[in-house]
Amino acid sequence: MSTVIKVEGLSVSFATPRGELKAVRDVSIELQEGESLGVVGESGSGKTVLSRSIMGLLPSTATRTGKITFQGEVISELPKDKVRDLWGTGMAMVFQDPMTALNPVRRIGDQLTESLTVRLGLSKKDAKVRAIELLERVRIPDPKSMMRKFPYQLSGGMRQRIMIAIAVSCKPEMLFADEPTTALDVTVQAQVLELITELRKEFNMAMILVTHDLGVVAGHTDKIAVMYAGDVVEYAPTRELFANMKMPYTEALLKSIPRLETPTGTRLPVIEGRLPDPTKNEPGCPFANRCAYVTDKCRAEKPPLTDGGNGHFYRCWFPIGGAK
Amino acid sequence: MTTTTITTVPTTKSVRKRPIGFYIASTWLVLIVFCAIFGSLLPLPIWNEGQYDYLGVGPFSAPGHLLGTTNDGYDMLSGLVNGARISLFVSVISVTVGGLIGGLIGITSAYYRGKFDGAVQLIFNVMLSIPNLVLSLALISSFAADTDTQEATVARRMTVLIFSLTIVIIPIVGRIARGSALQWSSKEFVLASKSMGTPNLVIIRKHILPNVAPAMLAIAFLAVGSVIIVEGSLALLGVGIPGGASWGSMLATGRNYLEFSPHEVYMPALAIAFTVISTNYFGDYVRNHLDKRESKI
Repeated sequence: MSTVIKVEGLSVSFATPRGELKAVRDVSIELQEGESLGVVGESGSGKTVLSRSIMGLLPSTATRTGKITFQGEVISELPKDKVRDLWGTGMAMVFQDPMTALNPVRRIGDQLTESLTVRLGLSKKDAKVRAIELLERVRIPDPKSMMRKFPYQLSGGMRQRIMIAIAVSCKPEMLFADEPTTALDVTVQAQVLELITELRKEFNMAMILVTHDLGVVAGHTDKIAVMYAGDVVEYAPTRELFANMKMPYTEALLKSIPRLETPTGTRLPVIEGRLPDPTKNEPGCPFANRCAYVTDKCRAEKPPLTDGGNGHFYRCWFPIGGAK
Repeated sequence: MTTTTITTVPTTKSVRKRPIGFYIASTWLVLIVFCAIFGSLLPLPIWNEGQYDYLGVGPFSAPGHLLGTTNDGYDMLSGLVNGARISLFVSVISVTVGGLIGGLIGITSAYYRGKFDGAVQLIFNVMLSIPNLVLSLALISSFAADTDTQEATVARRMTVLIFSLTIVIIPIVGRIARGSALQWSSKEFVLASKSMGTPNLVIIRKHILPNVAPAMLAIAFLAVGSVIIVEGSLALLGVGIPGGASWGSMLATGRNYLEFSPHEVYMPALAIAFTVISTNYFGDYVRNHLDKRESKI
């Protein structure tokens, strides 16, 4: 197995009128061929910015530092058009909202064959054949007539399948899925996730799956990175994380998922408080104000990313179950 | 979502009920376009050949001259038919050329943003701040003015007139195209297409242009109307197409005989008014249609 992507010390900040907004702080991750990483966190924790910055899809107001190596090539220093050559064929992205990620005035077939003709240089005929295969692959019924349809004629789940088909059309080595199920009905979420995992295994793609739902990543990823206020606060193999949770934040996230076995009338636990202001650089652990186990040390000093063994990293002074 | 899909699909294909104004406007425009193209084949008197039996006769009162004659004995109807050709030719050419150039500049500047966009906006604003009549007047009087020895030729006048109107149209359409393209460029499907490595020019052509085109079309219809008016105003100011060829020029000539043959003024004036109202109506209709489509997304 070879390393597909290696991110070292990635930080992203945006220039805003209120000062520099640090969206991602010093994040390092590594993915092998066919491996999948779940990035979990609440809204505003920087998970979408993380995935987009790795790909290089950020607007020009963003500043990115750190080193990104893709397939052995350092792409963080490459000029924009060189990085763009990798998009689609090297790495591709499935977007959050399939309602807006398809062009409303163009037929599904045209949008699906676009990258096949432009990026892979297929003839129109071949691209069409390939597109129909792809539609079959993402289990779209009657793919031939689907080619002639417009996005508004399809349901959300169908559109997301189309988006997935477009993303994998050029067989990328690396797939980014940015909350691919958030905009979908609960009933089709599982199907879409299953489809993504299936395709990932078939094409042997590495994947970064961004979500705010710990339940989503549990069955579909090999590793999990929990993000909070731009920091990766816990990073571990999926099994290890659920078996041996270290961060109070991860625990609180898991507790706030509704469960069937809780008695009726029980209030759903929520994480009180809000994310700290990303434009301010306050000392101490960013989660301190909302943490159940907070101490004076937490408020004074920011904990470093600690190696807890078994590939388990956490950013806490007083991890659950004690330090190693 | 599925229910709306079922109901909207058939209606787009079947005949939708349209307002009565739509039929009136389209009938008039079709008539004008027909006259402009096939006018010379119609069995009408030659428009610029005097019929000295009838001078300045009102409408419906002289045999062979349905809408009467001018004070010089020209047939009104054939004059109007010929005027349609000149007026439409001038306005359609200038709006098409100006719209294409303006749209191209507007869309690319909105897509790429940055310094290029800033410069384009500045130029557009400067161009828009010059009153279009003054601009056309200045261009015509400096490039196609009558001299002491000879009158400016029709061809030269027309070329300079079309050129100056094109310059007026460029920033008008350009700004609309830029505004619309700005909105569409920030849509996620543009980012999605970009994330597949699609080159910028392909994105502009296949994703932005089809979405911006309706807005450009709407403004182009409105522009045809205003260009006809500008052309008429220029003729009244004495720098129109010489020889009373266009509607505006007919108006300008007829003005001199207002007390003898008022129909010489109100006939072309009505033709201008109907055409402008029709194109405006069409422009609004296209724009409303666009809104409906947008709300469906």
